[in-house]
Amino acid sequence: MTPDLDRRDRLALAWRDPPGWWGFLTTVDHKRIAARYIVTAVLLLFLAGLLALDMRWQLSWAENTRMGPQLYNESFSLHGSTMLFLVSVPAMEAMALWLVPLMLGQRNMAFPRLGAFSYWLYLGGVLTLWVAHALDVTPDLGWFEYPPLSGPTYAPGHRADIWAQMITFTEVAALCASVNVVATILKMRPPGMTLARMPVFLWAMLVASLMTILSMPAIMLVTSMLIADRLVSTHFFAPAAHGDVLLFQHLFWFFGHPEVYIIFIPATGFVSSIVETFARRRLFGHHVLVLAILAIGCLAFGLWVHHMFAVGLPRLGNDFYTAASMAIAVPAGLQIFCWIATIATGRTWLATPMLWVLGFVATFVLGGLSGVMTASAALDLQLTDSYFVVAHFHYVLVGGAMFPLFGAFCYWYPKATGRLMSERWGRVAFALIVGGFNLGFAPMHLLGLMGMPRRVYTYPAGMGWDALNQVATLGSAIAVAGGLVFVANALLSYSRGAPAGANPWGAPTLEWAGDSPSPPWNLAYTPVVDSLTPLWDSPVLRVMDGVALERREVVVTSVVDAAPLYRQKSASPSIWPFVAALAVTAMFLGSIFTPWAIAAGALPIAAALTGWFWPQRERATTGPLRVRS
Amino acid sequence: MKARLLAVCPLLHGCGGVQSALDPGGDQARALFSLFALMMWVSGVVYVVVAGALSWALWRAWRYRGADSRADGGMTLRIDRRLAQLLPLAAGAIILGLTVLITASFFADRALFATRASPALEVRVTGHQWWWRIQYRDPVSYGWVETANELHLPQGQTVRLVLGAADVIHSFWVPNVAGKLDMIPGRTNLLDVTARRLGWYRGQCAEFCGTQHAHMALAVKVESPAAFRAWLAAQRAPATPAAGRGAAVFQVACAACHAIRGAGAAGRAGPDLTHVAARRSLAAGTLTMTRGNLQGWIAQPQAIKPGTSMPQIPLTPADADAVATYLATLR
Amino acid sequence: MRTQRGFVAARFAVALLLAGCQREARDIGPSLPQTSPRGAADPRIGYYQDNVYQIAQGGRYFSWYGCAACHGEDALGVRDLGDGRWRYGGSFNQVFASIVRRHGSLDYATRVPPEQLWQLAAYVRDLPQHTPEKRRRLSVDQVGEPQGQHWSGPVR
Repeated sequence: MTPDLDRRDRLALAWRDPPGWWGFLTTVDHKRIAARYIVTAVLLLFLAGLLALDMRWQLSWAENTRMGPQLYNESFSLHGSTMLFLVSVPAMEAMALWLVPLMLGQRNMAFPRLGAFSYWLYLGGVLTLWVAHALDVTPDLGWFEYPPLSGPTYAPGHRADIWAQMITFTEVAALCASVNVVATILKMRPPGMTLARMPVFLWAMLVASLMTILSMPAIMLVTSMLIADRLVSTHFFAPAAHGDVLLFQHLFWFFGHPEVYIIFIPATGFVSSIVETFARRRLFGHHVLVLAILAIGCLAFGLWVHHMFAVGLPRLGNDFYTAASMAIAVPAGLQIFCWIATIATGRTWLATPMLWVLGFVATFVLGGLSGVMTASAALDLQLTDSYFVVAHFHYVLVGGAMFPLFGAFCYWYPKATGRLMSERWGRVAFALIVGGFNLGFAPMHLLGLMGMPRRVYTYPAGMGWDALNQVATLGSAIAVAGGLVFVANALLSYSRGAPAGANPWGAPTLEWAGDSPSPPWNLAYTPVVDSLTPLWDSPVLRVMDGVALERREVVVTSVVDAAPLYRQKSASPSIWPFVAALAVTAMFLGSIFTPWAIAAGALPIAAALTGWFWPQRERATTGPLRVRS
Repeated sequence: MKARLLAVCPLLHGCGGVQSALDPGGDQARALFSLFALMMWVSGVVYVVVAGALSWALWRAWRYRGADSRADGGMTLRIDRRLAQLLPLAAGAIILGLTVLITASFFADRALFATRASPALEVRVTGHQWWWRIQYRDPVSYGWVETANELHLPQGQTVRLVLGAADVIHSFWVPNVAGKLDMIPGRTNLLDVTARRLGWYRGQCAEFCGTQHAHMALAVKVESPAAFRAWLAAQRAPATPAAGRGAAVFQVACAACHAIRGAGAAGRAGPDLTHVAARRSLAAGTLTMTRGNLQGWIAQPQAIKPGTSMPQIPLTPADADAVATYLATLR
Repeated sequence: MRTQRGFVAARFAVALLLAGCQREARDIGPSLPQTSPRGAADPRIGYYQDNVYQIAQGGRYFSWYGCAACHGEDALGVRDLGDGRWRYGGSFNQVFASIVRRHGSLDYATRVPPEQLWQLAAYVRDLPQHTPEKRRRLSVDQVGEPQGQHWSGPVR
């Protein structure tokens, strides 16, 4: 349905952002916010990657004294914290924030201002950690800061508190983003998109967001307990005062294990979308894929003890967690089966996004197999805290999440920018990154088995580790070079790429129905869906009309059957998310130094929230919804 | 099996080594190595199958690249029905493979703890930042014989390591002999090790414990039971009281933290030095034990192991020389 | 005018921040001359007294040199170092002098290296700022640490 000019003008008027800096600060356009998330995450990816290269250079020669222990410890702490809290999860949230309304044919998320707030808070977390680094107050106790090392006696000062509060920032931001995604997916689907007709991508984002909501509180709790121990002398983790050091580990990993699946499950959504489009057939085993995602989401909460196999917990309990940890390979394996089956039985087109899927399968399966090894409570006693497990988690995180993310970036780039990325340079970047990564991290399996522990700034000569470390450094450098090519491709294609139409890949899902780049209002009509692949099955898309054009409105539908229920006013640009984020930032930063900041900080937050929720006068509705084809 | 595995690493002088899980020299490490070998085989098969399936899928994609609308409704339905029959097979294969591995892991785990029921020689190992305090039960007086940073094990006998921590979490790991176990403040963990092959091994702390986690290593010697008893007897014997300049300087400058049994030095804050010169390494595996290194370590500990708790003691060159000479006599 | 004021404010804020961060600096190994403090205004005093790492190190040596035996948590009277009352003066050089000269045969002047004496003086002068809860919390963490010639075993 081609919208007429008058319709577009009226939509543009209702959905435009204020100009300039004010527009930048007040926008609630989910696409702009998601773009910010991605730009910040990519920048941090490079910063953390540089830290990694620094560490790799340090480890390339035995007894290297270039980096002292303090600097090295800061480097791996910053690298891990950044990659896990500030890059991976936010990047996945950003893709959800950007794609969910588009894929649902809606004009915005369920809670637009909450989306803006979540970005500002995330930025607060980024600045907390990285400005601290610039001021040489970098946390240096690893990305999971176990007490008593992170307790008040052995970690004096505020470095550990900065880390703990960075976590609080990012977890609140993640909770906000997740609530937004869940509400949108469950209540704002286009009419006709029953749960059975919902693409796998949306299932993945739904499950990942639900997992976030259930697991993030654990880490917020445990980092708050750590701050309490440090700031107000509680005894949570003081064994000689009836506290327990293991309490930290249990609570941390109760979050920590679902966290890595929160990173992985959206990647399965990306892979499903890309495979369906480029195999040019409907996904084989849609139900299996959805059930697998649900199974992984549930199972992920029952595995956390496998991070604690060397702690000395009762053996029978450890065996249970071995079985559970290995069991999660079943749904993951079935997903791989379905994707390969789809590729084999379609007319597969090996464009760059599809290449990334191939890289994902080749790499992630290796990571999964090394994961099965570390899942064994017995064998893990040799493998944990060595370079073997470093290799394992990089294989699953980079292979299993980063590669699909790069593929998704190439895949949806035309929709976001209206241009195509260069296929040639995309292939170069792919080869460098995948080849470099495998060259860099495969030797680490052997290094771990040969006894090299993690988190060591140097190692003695004569251990036989030198050559493998040098190969790892070379591979990592190649991968980073590939990353630079990738980013250069993205930047240059923005202005010089071939123009892409609405649907350059011939994809089946709704986000490809509108223009490229998507206008602020996404689609001019509300689509009506009657299959999993609407753009393939109907030559002309059925639409519904009735949502207002003069003001911001979205359609709310029922949870299971997506029957339209009512029209909902959608929030306009507002400064309150930014102001509220500033208030929350002030409170979080203040509570690093004094507990009174929590009381004092509550007042500005209350003021900001009052402004945010100040009631607006309801406007009259315009008329009933009707179907138009 | 081991030879085939070692053949995989051509660049090095073997995947074996003094700190290698691939070169088991003890019962526990051997059980884990067998489990690892089984897992490598299973993983190898799985990876070949997946890579093969993917390659086949790509081959089909290449072969049918010109075909138009191969995936039309009816044909897709037939293909999907056949694939749907393969799905339970795939699930079954995965479940079968995992069951094999879970069972093998269970039995390996039991093997690691099989010796727990029987009595064994107890050795207390306590992790400090960044050194190991090792205490043997004195069979004669039932007191404790204390040494540091070097563990001797009798060949063929099970030794029960009683692992504790004095400050933060550490982890005891000697890959050639057994898996690792954490040393956690507030917990006492027991690790049974049964060393089989004579020789020297190296262990290292495997839980990040602060600035010098990288230099918290342990020398382990596996010797015949007779040699072990002789060593323990030698360790039990106090040092002969010395009357030289070195001993006098030691008493003033070092005895606050270090102990030399028999010579009147009783500090517990640092490693016991009663038989320091008989050890193979210095500063928890950072330096080889030589007279020169002893003097160098005393003179410039922060330069060798930055952040170490060993203070920089201001000694005149003559005094430093004397102390190093004295310590070198403590065999 | 407005931009100039903004500039000055920014520079002031940065300076404040940087000053605050010297507290957290982690310089490893003695880097300053190893002599006693020269009066209460010795410029080296700030390097130790205003640095959390140096104070914490002082706390560890406090236990390792056995000071806690007399000056522990439950010390009373003149031995209580946390009460803020200094018999021989509370400036840095006075506290330093108390450690080296007023412990008789314990002779810390020769038995404890200068760097550690500086750290101990900084730690001791920091103690009065701790609440009793904080002091208790720090001592609870250190039950497994050796205290001079005594070690009661690992933390159990």
